[in-house]
Amino acid sequence: MLLNQFLLLGAVLFCIGVYGVLVRRNGVMVLMSIELILNAVNINLVAFGTHLQQATGQAFALFVIPIAAAEVAVGLAIVLMIYRNRRSIDVDSLDEMKG
Amino acid sequence: MRFELLQLAAQLQPPVEVDAAGVPVVESTGSFWNPLTYTVFLPLAGALLLLLVPKGNEALVKLGALITSLLTFGMGLYLLLEFDYSESGKQFFANIPWIEVINSRYIVGIDGISLPLLALTVFVVPLCIIYSWNHIPSPGNPKAFFVLLLVLETGMIGSFIALDLILFFVFFEVVLLPMYFLIGVWGGPDRKYASLKFFLYTLFGSALMIVAFLALYFLSDPVMVDGALIGSFDMTLLPDLAAAGVGTTAALWIFGGMFIGFGVKVPMFPFHTWLPDAHTQAPTVGSVILAAVLLKLGTYGFVRIAIPILPEAAKTWAPVIALLAVIGIIYGALCCLAQTDMKRLIAFSSVAHMGFTMLAISSLTDFGINAAIFGMVAHGLITGMLFFIAGSTKERYHTLEIARLGGMLKQAPRMGWILGLCTMASLGLPGLAGFWGEFPAILSVYQPAEGLNLAFFRTMMVIAAIGTVFAAGYLLWLYQRVAFGVPSEEFENDPEITDVQPLEWVAWLPMLVLIVVLGFLPGLLFNTTNPAVVESLAALGG
Amino acid sequence: MTFAASMLASVDHPPIDWHALAPELIVLGVLAIIILVDAFGGEDRKWAISSITSIGLLVAIVPVVTMAVDGAVRSMFDAAYVVDNYALLFKALFLVAGYIVVLLSTNYIAEGDYWEGEYYQLLLASILGMMIMASARDLIGIFVALETISIPAYMLAAWRKRESRSDEAGLKYYLMGVFASGVLLYGMSLLYGLTGSTRLVDIAAAVSGEAPALVIVAIVFTIVGFGFKVSAVPFHTWAPDVYEGAPTPVTAFVAVASKAAGFVALITVVLVAFPTQPEIFEPLIWALAAATMTVGNVIALRQTNMVRLLAYSGVAQAGYMLAPLAIAGHSATSAELATSAIATYLVIYMAMNLGAFGIVIAMARKTGSAELSSYGGMLNYAPALTVAMTIFVFSLAGIPFLAGWYGKLAVVLALVQPGTWFGYSMAIIVGVNSVIALGYYAKIARIMWIDPAPDGDTTRVRVPVSVASALVITAVLTVAIGVYPPLVDQFTGAESFLTLGF
Repeated sequence: MLLNQFLLLGAVLFCIGVYGVLVRRNGVMVLMSIELILNAVNINLVAFGTHLQQATGQAFALFVIPIAAAEVAVGLAIVLMIYRNRRSIDVDSLDEMKG
Repeated sequence: MRFELLQLAAQLQPPVEVDAAGVPVVESTGSFWNPLTYTVFLPLAGALLLLLVPKGNEALVKLGALITSLLTFGMGLYLLLEFDYSESGKQFFANIPWIEVINSRYIVGIDGISLPLLALTVFVVPLCIIYSWNHIPSPGNPKAFFVLLLVLETGMIGSFIALDLILFFVFFEVVLLPMYFLIGVWGGPDRKYASLKFFLYTLFGSALMIVAFLALYFLSDPVMVDGALIGSFDMTLLPDLAAAGVGTTAALWIFGGMFIGFGVKVPMFPFHTWLPDAHTQAPTVGSVILAAVLLKLGTYGFVRIAIPILPEAAKTWAPVIALLAVIGIIYGALCCLAQTDMKRLIAFSSVAHMGFTMLAISSLTDFGINAAIFGMVAHGLITGMLFFIAGSTKERYHTLEIARLGGMLKQAPRMGWILGLCTMASLGLPGLAGFWGEFPAILSVYQPAEGLNLAFFRTMMVIAAIGTVFAAGYLLWLYQRVAFGVPSEEFENDPEITDVQPLEWVAWLPMLVLIVVLGFLPGLLFNTTNPAVVESLAALGG
Repeated sequence: MTFAASMLASVDHPPIDWHALAPELIVLGVLAIIILVDAFGGEDRKWAISSITSIGLLVAIVPVVTMAVDGAVRSMFDAAYVVDNYALLFKALFLVAGYIVVLLSTNYIAEGDYWEGEYYQLLLASILGMMIMASARDLIGIFVALETISIPAYMLAAWRKRESRSDEAGLKYYLMGVFASGVLLYGMSLLYGLTGSTRLVDIAAAVSGEAPALVIVAIVFTIVGFGFKVSAVPFHTWAPDVYEGAPTPVTAFVAVASKAAGFVALITVVLVAFPTQPEIFEPLIWALAAATMTVGNVIALRQTNMVRLLAYSGVAQAGYMLAPLAIAGHSATSAELATSAIATYLVIYMAMNLGAFGIVIAMARKTGSAELSSYGGMLNYAPALTVAMTIFVFSLAGIPFLAGWYGKLAVVLALVQPGTWFGYSMAIIVGVNSVIALGYYAKIARIMWIDPAPDGDTTRVRVPVSVASALVITAVLTVAIGVYPPLVDQFTGAESFLTLGF
């Protein structure tokens, strides 16, 4: 069973996702990076579940998938509102409030 | 109600019962509706009623405040009369559950140590209210002013009657808020800075104090409450519980925490810097209460809590206390000599006087502690009076700059004489109250408690004695500059400079009488305090 | 056993205790009702939605009380969903906080150009998530609850959608929140893989003893994930912007209820799943707590906007609440004390902080601003609000006879109990921070009491009845708990408050 390889893939995806969240300035790209993190989690869960011969992992992943979808839907809606108000989705330009 | 009061009167603390294993068994005694409860919550109830009075109706507000404080004073008189002066234990005792989870209880009671301070508190507040009758400092708003004053009174009385550490802590802190606002709203030009400094310093001290209390709670032996073992905050039990449970090192740290907590309030030498600012900026009544009562909360904490509960640690710390006290005496005196402002000078003289009190406490003998309590009361009366006079001077001359004042004896002779009496009392002239606070304090460290370094304490005594010379110096200097000579040109024909007003007489006379009476009859106070003091030092072996 | 067979074998019909689920079901029912009223009721019925919501929240407290009275621990779904005293206390807290937030929102939402129906629906959904969180004892349940809380909250934060500040608040909250839940989830996935279970009790059994490196990673990720939720430094940066940009009632909700939910999750996970790993979580939480209270307080000192100030004060308060967890692994007694200290603090925090935000909402109706200077001279034209705000800020500062002191006492008590330098040092840090904090709390009081009114505008403030009743409730709670703390600690100090993983 290739557990380690799957976990490695998960870890790599997670790191890419974290990197993306921290570095990308485009709102949509940040959302996609978050998607990567959540999918890294899904890979972990499914791989562990299969390795442990349990349904729990898969079930957990099935909970994560719709919630991730809901999250991204809300995120895109907010990004869209920002675009309407500012004609930009650059997250660095969100600096009206400071202190 | 009156009959119920009489029945409960002077209920003594029952002896502590012990179970088979030697663990004290805590049982509720007395009732919440205890004379002390009335005394402490009367001002608060009055304050709440005052809140309902419309703001415009100033006369009613003032009357309400005065009646409340007089009723409280009446309760104080009742306590004084019903108190059994031969008894060393706690009287008017009640012990009922409050915060059961941590076994913090509503334990109240008074003995000879707390009674004089309680009496001082209920005595001073009505005088302050009378004094403020026509003198509400700018920006006015007598309703808020009197409400805060009454809340303050509740906090002060509560601190003196509480026999549970948490209850004591709570009342100790209740005092802060009203005082903060009294200084901050009605104070002088620098009031924002002064009020915040007062607040921050005291709070810092109490933060350490509460950690010390809690450490004491966990380290001391438990007591039995409703069949379960639990820690205790009971000041009357803790001397025994702590002796058994708290190790030497822990005791030193805990005492250190309390030392800073109470030391800030006293204030002792390195923690004193809030005091001159607070006193200078506070409105007259605020200064009076600060000097007369609030500072005593610190010394009272040492006498009531720190020393009886941790006597061994107290012995280790005693030289530090003595040293800081003596530094305070000398430093305070030197600062007085450098002051140009009358109120600031009186404030620094407080640092010096409280130094004498702390020196007496550091002796850890019954003689010393008796002297300290006398010193507290005497300082409260005398310095309180001096602040009253300073306030009235400020009102007439619109300045307290010593260099600009002068000739008070010519322009306002009675006030000049009163100032003279108070400065004499303050410098410790025999026959006035100040003498009995200062002279025995110095004498007490000649023979400190067993185990303390004799040579060191006697050196301290000598330095403190030199401090009295300084005190005479700055007080006479103050009196000479303010009262003697001829009035300066700017005030020569000032119609505002009048002699003592009737309301001022009413407010001042009782204090002046007490200063003289206690000067001639110091036994009134010493006999009250002695039994309780001897008992509180039992753990020190005499 | 084949994989498919194992899946089938684990599917049976668990018994369901309807009494235990009643509070959640009532909230769910009310949610359905207001969706229907909103959809079919027409414009003139919109006003009813807020009333239905608030009544529904109060009704949902009834089963909570009945369960508290009989005191039994109800465990369902293989102990993945537990209704014990701990869960009940927090359910009651969330319902009361929700009720007060509805009171604060009613006029704000009705008078602004906002979507009334959806606002209350999202609010209820979020409260529902919180109630589930209080009972969830399983990673999946905790995750679902967390998202049920958060997703509506993101939308609520961006509610004033034509205002770019509100959008900004929404996006910041969203990005930080989702990123945090991603990190948390990754930690959870590792935890599941290493222990073979998502139930916290099983995890506790599996991680006892020497922990492999991955378990440490998993624990750290989990705590960091919740650290975002409770706005612990260095994961607090969203809080001030979100508080400032979001509609103020939503800010109050996020600052109090959502933070409490984060703490509930943190306590449950740390003390039920990891109590045997104190050497991992204690130093981490010690550092987080110390940094949180210190940074929060120091930055709060220089704020000029009331909402931002309250945001940083909230960060600092989170630090006080985190502190007891730093010693909770010492022994079962420490864990119990820490749990009840945090619970006590949260209840008190709810009352005083919602009250403070209530004042901000009331004052904004007159001044239209949350700048500190706009509170000048309040004593003269709004004495009742001034006294109330004074009560709230000094309660936050921890001055006795106002509830906050007892919260601080409970925290310090828990810290001192183990008698270790770890605890003592934290207790002293809490003490010193309380002093620093006084600097800005006293500043608020000073501005209200001493400073003159800006522009000399001393017209009276008109406080709507609903906001006024919210203020009365919170002020009375703040004073009553302060004078007689057993009002709270008879619940939080109860024995077997939370079944710990020791």
